[in-house]
Parts: sequence; C-alpha cells; structure tokens
Amino acid sequence: MRRRLPEWFVLLLPAFVVVAAVVLIPLLFSLYSSFTPYKLTRPSTLWTWIGERNYERILTDWKFWAAFGRTVLFLTIALNLELLFGLGIALMVNKVTRGQRTLRTVLMFPMMFSPILVGFQFKFIFNDNVGLVNNVLQSLGSDAALPWLVDGNLAMFSILFAEIWMSTSVFAILILAGLFAMPRDPLEAAKVDGCTPWQSFRHITLPFLMPFIYIAMTIRSLDVARAYDIVQIMTGGGPARRTELLWTLMSRTGYVDAKMGLANAMGYVSILLSIAFTIFFFRKLSAARAELGMGG
Amino acid sequence: MDRNKTHRNRRRVLKGLHFFGLFLVMSIICIPGLWIILNSFRPTVEIMAKPPVWRPSFTLEHYRAMFGGAGQGGVPVFSYLWNSIVISVTSTLIAVLIGMSGGYAFARYRFKGKSGYFVGLMLFRAVPGVALSLPLFIVFAKVGIIDTHFGLILVYVAMNVPFTIWLTDGFFRQIPKELHEAAEIDGCTRWQAFWKVEFPVARSGVASAAIFAFLTSWNEFALASQLTRSVDSKTMPVGLLDFTAEFTINWGGMCALAVLMILPALILTFIVQKHLIAGLTFGGVKG
Amino acid sequence: MKPNIYNGLAVTTALVAVMDSAAAQDYGSYPGVTIEAKFIGGQQYEGLYGRIADWEALTGATVNILSKKSHFEIDREIKSDMAAGTTDWCVGSNHISFAPQYEGLYVDLNSLVPAEVLAEFVPGNIDASTVGGELLMLPRAQFDVSVLYYLKSNYTDADKAAAFKAEYGYDLAVPETWNQVKDQAIFFSDPPNFYGTQYAGKDEGVVGRFYEMLVAEGGQYLNDDYTPAFNSEAGVRALQWFVDLYEAQAVPAGTTSYVWDDLGQGFASGSIALNLDWPGWAGFFNDPEKSKASGNVGVAVQPMGSAARTGWAGLHGFSVTNDCADKEAAASLVMFLTSEESQLAESSGGSLPSRTAVWEANLEAASNGDDPYRAESLAAFAEGAKYAFAVPAIPEWVETTNIVFPELQAAIVGDKTAKQALDDAAAAVDELMQDAGYY
Repeated sequence: MRRRLPEWFVLLLPAFVVVAAVVLIPLLFSLYSSFTPYKLTRPSTLWTWIGERNYERILTDWKFWAAFGRTVLFLTIALNLELLFGLGIALMVNKVTRGQRTLRTVLMFPMMFSPILVGFQFKFIFNDNVGLVNNVLQSLGSDAALPWLVDGNLAMFSILFAEIWMSTSVFAILILAGLFAMPRDPLEAAKVDGCTPWQSFRHITLPFLMPFIYIAMTIRSLDVARAYDIVQIMTGGGPARRTELLWTLMSRTGYVDAKMGLANAMGYVSILLSIAFTIFFFRKLSAARAELGMGG
Repeated sequence: MDRNKTHRNRRRVLKGLHFFGLFLVMSIICIPGLWIILNSFRPTVEIMAKPPVWRPSFTLEHYRAMFGGAGQGGVPVFSYLWNSIVISVTSTLIAVLIGMSGGYAFARYRFKGKSGYFVGLMLFRAVPGVALSLPLFIVFAKVGIIDTHFGLILVYVAMNVPFTIWLTDGFFRQIPKELHEAAEIDGCTRWQAFWKVEFPVARSGVASAAIFAFLTSWNEFALASQLTRSVDSKTMPVGLLDFTAEFTINWGGMCALAVLMILPALILTFIVQKHLIAGLTFGGVKG
Repeated sequence: MKPNIYNGLAVTTALVAVMDSAAAQDYGSYPGVTIEAKFIGGQQYEGLYGRIADWEALTGATVNILSKKSHFEIDREIKSDMAAGTTDWCVGSNHISFAPQYEGLYVDLNSLVPAEVLAEFVPGNIDASTVGGELLMLPRAQFDVSVLYYLKSNYTDADKAAAFKAEYGYDLAVPETWNQVKDQAIFFSDPPNFYGTQYAGKDEGVVGRFYEMLVAEGGQYLNDDYTPAFNSEAGVRALQWFVDLYEAQAVPAGTTSYVWDDLGQGFASGSIALNLDWPGWAGFFNDPEKSKASGNVGVAVQPMGSAARTGWAGLHGFSVTNDCADKEAAASLVMFLTSEESQLAESSGGSLPSRTAVWEANLEAASNGDDPYRAESLAAFAEGAKYAFAVPAIPEWVETTNIVFPELQAAIVGDKTAKQALDDAAAAVDELMQDAGYY
C-alpha cells in the first residue's frame, strides 16, 4: 500500500508551493546574482562569479550606511509615533458616546489608499509652489514658501507625515478593539481604591492592551517596505540624499544604473532588516500573549 | 460648593479639549483625501494658480478627458479597472482558500517544527517588493507569464497567503475541538464537519482576511509596475503613472483616476467593516 | 485623402498643405503584420500617435502600443526587458542620453532605411544618432537646445529699469550673459510670489544644466581619456552660479526637486521672470487656455557664459530592435513617425523638426504669417541650435549623472562648498570609469 501523506502536510502544501514559486525561487536567483557583477543591460555578466565583492563594496560605502541608518531611524520614529497617535486616537474615540460608529468608519479611511497614491497626494499637498499647506500658510499672511520636500528636516518630516497618516489607522483600530474587549471590573475596583486615572491607565488598561499593540506592530512590520512607494514618489531620496532610504538607493542602483548584482546585495541587507523587525515583534507578541494567558 | 464649581469647570475644559482633539485628528485624516476629490473637479489653471484660488469652480473636464480617447489625454480607464477587479478578486478568493486550509492545518494538527513553519511563512511576507521585483520579473519572463492576469494573480496569492493563514489560524483555534468531534460522531466526514460546523464560526475571520487580501492586491504597486506592461494587465495604481509624462504631472487627471480607485475599496470596506475589526483582533490575539 | 482620417488631431494649415505627399511616399505593404511598440508618453506626443492610424491604413499592418511612459520609466522597462530577454517587440522610443546603454538591443538602421531618406535629415542629427558607426535611431525632433523664455512686461517698466540701473550700473535688457541673468533674477525676485528664475534640480536634468554652464565657462565634463574633468576652476564657477541664486532666494525653494514638468508649469503660472527651457514648451507657454504668461512671453537665444555660448542638447528618436520579427515593417513605421508630414504636424506645437525641408517650411510660414511669437521663437531656436553639444556617447553617462546630481544638490542647498561637492563627485566618477575599464 502507498504511504499516505499526513493530512496537515496536504493542507499546507498549496501554501508552500505558491510561496516557493513566487518568493523562494526569485530570492535564490537574486542571492546568486548578488555574487556576480550582473548588469541588466549585459545579460552575459550573470555568469561571472566575483564572490563577496558586492557585499564588501556596500559594507564599506558610507552612503549605504547612511541610507541604512536613516531607514532604521525612519522606521523607529514612524512606528513609535504611529503607536502613540493610535493609542491617543483610540482613547479619545472610546470616550465618545454618540457617533462612535461614524468616527470608527472615518478612521479606516487611510487604510484604503494605495501607498503610491499616498505618495502623490502628499507630493501635491506639500508642493512648495501650488501645495495646499503653503497656500494656507500664505493666505494666513505668512511670507514663507516653505520647501517641504527639499529642506533636510522638512523633507524627512513630510515623508514621515505621509507614512504616519497612512498607517496610524491600523494601530488606532486594533487598540480600540482592545478597549472594547476590556473587562470593566478591574477599572471600577481601581476607582474605588482611589487610583488616579493615570494610575489605572498605566497599571490596568495598558497591560491589557499590550497584545493588541504588538499585533498591530507585527502587522505593520510585515509591510514596512511599503514606505518605498511613498518616498520614491515624494522625494526619490533627494535632495542631496537627505531622504535616501535603503529601498530608494537599491532601486536606483538596480534599475537606473542597471547594476543589479550590487542592488541585490543591498536587497539582501534590506530583507534581513525586515526580517529582524518581524521576528522582534513576533517574540514580543508571544511574550505578551503568554503573560495574559492567551497563548495557544 | 466652590470645589464643585472648579470641578465642573475642569470637566468642561477637559470635554472641550477632548472635542477639539477629536476634531483635529479627524480633519487630518479626512482633508488629504477630500483635497484629492475636490481637485478632481477643478480646472487645471485653478489648481496651478498663484496666488491660490480658494473658491473652487466646478468642472468635469478631467473626467471627460480621462474617458476620452487617445489624443485627448485619455487613459484606458476601463481596462485598468477591469484588470484591477479581475486580479484582486481572483487572487483574494484563491488566497483565502489556500490560506484557510493552511490556517486549519496549523490550528488543528500537531507536527514537528510547527512554529518554525509558521514564522517562516510570515517572513516571506516581509520580503520587500522592490527587492523581489527584478528576480521575479526574470523568472516570469522565462516562463512567459509577464503581462498576464495569471502572473499577477499568482504573485498576489503568494503575498496574501501568509497573512490569511495567520488570521484564520487564530479563529479555528478558538473553536472547541469538541464541536467537530461531535459532528463526526453524528456521521459527518471531517470535510463535512469543517464546512457545517467550523467554517460558519470562523466566518468573520475569513471575511477580514479577505478584505485585507483584497486591499493589498488592489493597492499594490512595486511589483505590478514591473510585471505589467500593457492594457492587457496594467492595474489602477500603475495606471496612475500615465499622468506623469515626461513634462507634466497632470494633477487634475490624476486626482480623477484616484477617486475612481478609492471608490470600490471604500464601498467594499464599509460593507464588511464589522468583520474586519473582529477578524483582526480575535484572529491575532487569541492565536 | 479624406480629412476624416485626421480626426482627433490638431489639423494645421501646414498639415493640410502636405496631405497629398503623405500618399506619395511609399511605406510598403505589410498586411497582417503586428508591430509592437514602446513609446514615450505625454500629451505633446498624442498628436503624433494619433497619426499611426494613417500608417496602418497605408500598409495594412497594425500597431500595438505596449507602453507609453516617460523616458526614465521606459528606460527602466527596456533594461528589465534586456535582462529577461523579452526584447522581441519592434519599435522603441530612444534618446541620445540613453541610447549607448542599450548594447546590442537596436538594429543599425543604415541597413533598413534608404540612403535618400537619410539624406533628407539634418546631417548633424544623423551623426548624433550614430554610436560606434551604427545608426541607432531616426531622430524625431531636432537636437533640442533650450532657449531663454522671459516675461516681456519686466522690460517695459520704466521704474524697474531705473531702479535696476541704479543698483547694477547697466541698462536693464533681455540678458545676454549668465551673469546678467543672475543679477536680474535676484533683482526681479519677490519670494514667495515671484521668482527671478528656476532650474532643473535633480536627476539628469540638473547635471545637464550644470554641464551646459560648465562648457559655457570653458570647462569640460570628461577629459579625452574619460577621466572626470568637471571639478575644475570652471566647474566651481559654474556650480557657484546655481548656489548663489539659491542662496539669494531668486529661485523657488523647491527647485532642487523640480524637473521639466514642474519648471514648465512654473513659468506658465506667470511667477517666473526668466526661464531657460526646451522648445517643446513654446506653444504651451503662449496658450491662453493653459498659461497665465500667454501674450507676455518673449523668446531669446540662450545667454552665454564667460567663455562661450553653449547648449546641452538632447535628441529623441525611434529605434527598431534586433529581435523584431519584421524589421522592414518596423523601419517603415519609424520612417513614418519621423516623416516630413509627421514633423510638420508636430512642429506646429513647438518641437523642432529634424528634417531640413521642414525647417525651411516652418521658417517660411512664420515669416509670411501673422504670428510674430512663432517667428520670434523659431529664430531663437535656430540660433540656439548652432551652439548645441551632445553628452558623451558612452553607456556610463546616465550612471555618472546619478553620482553627480546628489553632490550638486548638496552644494546648492549648502551642505558642502562647490569645490568640495565637485571633488567628491569626481572621485566617485573616477572609480566608476575605472570599474568600467576605460583606464
């Protein structure tokens, strides 16, 4: 008799097949090409093996490290602020008694926007000449045509703003759901015991919300590279590399300079970065679940 | 008496602050989108005007141009819309089916290295689209599925499967094992038991996974821009770039297409929003 | 010929005049052949693409346009096609800055296009389209050289003239030199509502503008042995011009994020006094429907630097791929797109023809006609084109611009001094050229 495959394996097989076909094979190909001087316009260069020279090159290039550092900084600031704003919004909406449903619906608005659309939208709004922001400032009597997408700090602020605008909703909605699910008794008890609102928030509400927060973080960390679409459209990494992130640097090296081998080497660094973020939050999530006895 | 009064005053101030904060937040969320919608109805001269014109005039010029033929700045909107719908809907359906079976496997079976498989799948989701786009392009070109619906559907299925597994896994886990055991005792096969007993309970998880998969496919750009070439398969986000030719960004036209792009997502999300929230929280937390 | 074929196209009198000859040239007969094409996209090209139906009617072939994108986007797409080996489409938009990168992609048109057809083009254009002895594209438009567009009202105001004279010691007139442009730009500026001038501030655009200024100051971009030469005295002077204008707020603060679209729209908004820009904009700038500056636009030859008058030139054309199944038909389409009648139709919108006969027809029409603006701009384009130079025809050109432009920006926004920025860029370009095996 033929040995039958275990059922769990059969059930998982389609998922593994499709992921392998679409992600694994191309990744192996790009891993190989990162050890070649592969140029898009010269396909034959794919067969020249140069060992780890591409990696050596990017690891000793300060422009690469600047972009790497900026990417980590960008993600850290964006994720933290998204969490903070999300928490604030959720608490505010939770306090509302009438029209809460409408508010919640409005909150989901940015989730429907394509990142590339968000990029164009804010490129338009922050345009120093015809943009909404400068038009408002000037109509209010300010003399400045603030170069939102040019000045080093303002440009970073603008892309952060766009990124945060797009992603805060996920946090707000998840945390809000956490607030709904929260049992009322401990809070009542704390009030009777004379706790200040801050104390009961800090010691009762927040710990309960932690798993929700980590879910949001994990969901986001799967998708951090979405910021590429936004930044590429808004500033393209410029001016003078002031908003250069790993992804914009990589795409320019690969597609414009056609140096795909080198770009794929950068790609691997960016993949490792994404994976590090994801694993970090997965662990936090499991820990938080275990603490609340929700582990499965 | 006096203390009561200050107390009341303080509450009033807090209430005012609360209201103001909410108002501010909601404005920031709404204005950028509304600005896009508004500008899709304004003539180009007015959009570019300096000093700004605040009283908007109304025109359908951009919509008319967009639906017009080649030579009048028309873009093949209907092809893009059709491609987007076909690709997003098909890939969502398949991803949900595959993801559900995977989620069920994780929730109901014990096997070696389970958590390793699970995290591994998630990590594939985390690979940045830009890093994937070129090798994927070359592989697809060799196979000959560039610029086809099939190619893009395949990619989006792969993108959406891990997250669907995650959400549905959480849902199936919540359902007590006794439920399907009871059904099997009643003479159902495991397959029947699944559809009759477990699936209905997990429905809102599946719905939220579906809406997430749909939004991801509908909005994806980095891969679509590489893997599509012509009106045969170009999706709406790629179509947006039609308005940035070498010399001019046509803001009005772009806004008009953007409105068309947001509308379906908006309608769909509102229909299933209840499931969306429930799915996210229970799927994830209890997982 | 029936006029209804020309539906959807701006029919000009010039076009009607040559409609008979459209039938005269033989484009061959290719019934059942489908030509796949990748074109540059944009409003200004739609008229030309509208004409493709005529070619289809004449030859029996069909054209399937695979994509219409900007040059940078199409460049990306073509490069990934080359990588994947999916280059069996037939006709592609090409540009002189990009052409040398596509090694082996496009066929040598000398073998497909009859010599007498080639003889009808301006010889300089054919030379420029030839890389390593192979004619890689048929030029669609003339070697584009930017000329100076300006708002005429600034030069008719007696108060301004007097104030300018008092401050700078010479008469206010349309500038002849780049230093005068700088003085006047600073003088006219009234930020944030009005700026003296503007420039392309990123990508190949800013490098081209810098290159132009560099040559005008007597410098060179690369030496004859391909080592970088732009960090010379002349280079520093050239870059300093951009820096000074930025510091004086005589250009919009966002200028480092502008490329052609933003610049054209900026001048059309009437808030820029002096604008060095491409001929393709001429019609747009003076169109009352689209431009606030219309009726107030003057066109003059580009100013000169301390050493020479120069113009960074681009050249756009169409190519045929080596993998094309029916190269004859593809070449026929390319000839049609660059034909006399196509060019006449197009040049009415402002772009400059690459054929000798069309030049003459245009100049004649303009001098007989009652359109002084058109005569003025054509004269300026004709004069400006005499000083055209092309970028080095090496595959690495675009790559060098990617190294150089962030450094130029760094100097413009004040992160580095001009000398420091150019030295850093030169070091990186030096490495690139060594890697590429030039020395």
